[in-house]
Amino acid sequence: MAYTTVDATALKDIKEKIHTGVLPQWVFSNQQIYELELEKIYARTWNFIGHESEIRNPGDFVTRWIVHDPVLLLRDQDGQIRAYLNSCTHRGAQLCVADCGNKKTFTCPYHGWTFNQRGELIGIIAGNKVYGEELDRSQWALRRIPRVETYQGMIFASLNPDVEPLDEFLGGMKWYFDIMLGRTTNGLEVRGVPHRWLIRTNWKISADNFGGDPYHVAMSHRSTVELGISPQDPMYASYGYQIVLENGHGINICTTKDGTTSRPYQGLPEELWPEFEKNLTAEQRDILYRAVVFVGNCFPNLSFVSPMHGTGGPDEPLTSFVNFRTWRPLAPDLIEVCSWCMVDKDASEEFKEASYRSYVGSFGPGGTLEQDDGEIWTRVEDASKGFMVQSKDVHYNNVLNYLMGMGRVEPIEQWRAPGTAYPTCWLDAISRSFYEHWVDQLLSE
Amino acid sequence: MTIRDEIVNFLHDEAFLLDERRFDEWLEMLDDSVVYRMPMRVTKEKEGGDDIVDEMTYLEETKQSLITRVNRLKTTSAWAEDPPSRTRHFITNVRIEREEPEEVHVTSYFHMLRSRGSTTEVEQVFGKRSDVVKKRDGNWRLVRRTIYPDQAILGMRNISNFF
Ligand code: FES
Ligand SMILES: [Fe+2]
Repeated sequence: MAYTTVDATALKDIKEKIHTGVLPQWVFSNQQIYELELEKIYARTWNFIGHESEIRNPGDFVTRWIVHDPVLLLRDQDGQIRAYLNSCTHRGAQLCVADCGNKKTFTCPYHGWTFNQRGELIGIIAGNKVYGEELDRSQWALRRIPRVETYQGMIFASLNPDVEPLDEFLGGMKWYFDIMLGRTTNGLEVRGVPHRWLIRTNWKISADNFGGDPYHVAMSHRSTVELGISPQDPMYASYGYQIVLENGHGINICTTKDGTTSRPYQGLPEELWPEFEKNLTAEQRDILYRAVVFVGNCFPNLSFVSPMHGTGGPDEPLTSFVNFRTWRPLAPDLIEVCSWCMVDKDASEEFKEASYRSYVGSFGPGGTLEQDDGEIWTRVEDASKGFMVQSKDVHYNNVLNYLMGMGRVEPIEQWRAPGTAYPTCWLDAISRSFYEHWVDQLLSE
Repeated sequence: MTIRDEIVNFLHDEAFLLDERRFDEWLEMLDDSVVYRMPMRVTKEKEGGDDIVDEMTYLEETKQSLITRVNRLKTTSAWAEDPPSRTRHFITNVRIEREEPEEVHVTSYFHMLRSRGSTTEVEQVFGKRSDVVKKRDGNWRLVRRTIYPDQAILGMRNISNFF
């Protein structure tokens, strides 16, 4: 049977498939799925829109997008963070087209309505003459993004006034975010501005890659092994833990084979170590002490990676960085990547510089690792549009394989941290959980 | 030949070697001390000041890191360039900003077109380059290059090429 539309029956069939560890390939390219995703996921959930350090001073602003909703994010004169729909309330013109800057007021170029940092309409050209006293200006203030909340400096926004509190949404992920974002009292800061580039792929391909796919490292990134920058052991990216969290979130903590390390705390500067004592629990410290890479995804499309890399040859020292990125879905087959390089505010200038170089060289759009990811995700998308793949009959063998570790790998019973942890990173547990949550959202009323 | 002619030839030779994928020969044109950067462009209002963000770059390279990049292209698994891209670097509007017998400051416009795979899609990066070229043992060598892209969002899946 082939479905003509993606209705509840089709979605339930997909759900059943996911429970058996497979996923119909056409969900990577289908227009109806894409539209459902925008409505049932992106318009309802929390979306990452920026970091507090990007709008450090009163008047600082950045413009961002929640898929197709333009967002004006700013810090007002009182230091409060505010987010508005970046569209004039008069006739809808995009109010601010700069990526960033500092402004007290925003004047629309169409007819000249002016808004202040609190979103209030404070100026109308010939206002009283043309509208009279009866125009209630408070009704024509900038439209607020319904919910804005932060965690460890990370600013999230939701178009849904009834969304659960951010704390609840992040759930166990907070515990792991703390290790990367909350280990020093003054937290992290964004370096410069985020990288932005387009990749012809589906957002789930990249989210799933960061979220649950350390398996790809051995082949996709083999060039770094050939160069002697990554370990020769073909299983190197499998060692460590894969942790499945609620709401489709997941994180991999990659370690060395025996779990020991020659670079405690990912090589973070020793002067910061006392800070870890202060800000992290013993369990969190133990993980940070031994971790080689943190990589994961916060549902739906906020991915992160915190590895150690170098920019030179095999003899160059490795430096860690924290990279968060969003995969903004522009079409079923197109994403805009927005990628932030972050570093501990209290680290030395020397470390910050090395950390930045390490990020640009490995995971910026020209990074030696990132390059190959973008290339291959494009190849997945390009091969996911044809007839055989598009057949909506999910009973036909047009499904992709998410079977790794299913029924074979048991969770760690003594895991003293949030989530269900497995003793390997080569496992599709996060991916299955990601797609289960995804299809549940699509099925929700 | 005037110094200007020599510099124009230098820039054209560089582009030629890059497009022919003769990367080792291209590396020889770079001084060991080369500082090779590609900062970010952002969209700003006129009164918002400079729209180049120097603290973040697409490329922040030394001779060593460029050698590593070239060596990577020689591995069996640099998928971004396997199958290889077809590129054309068009270098124009060469302007000598400062000329001394052994040191020249030069700006040029670049337009790199890239074709990957068997599609008609054309990927491109364009902008201005600001270079310092010095004479070393009788040969011109690139000592400093800053690449200013014109786009605030790159329209391609990655940067796996040099400019
Ligand atoms: S649309 Fe903004 S003032 Fe008319
Ligand atoms: Fe990757």
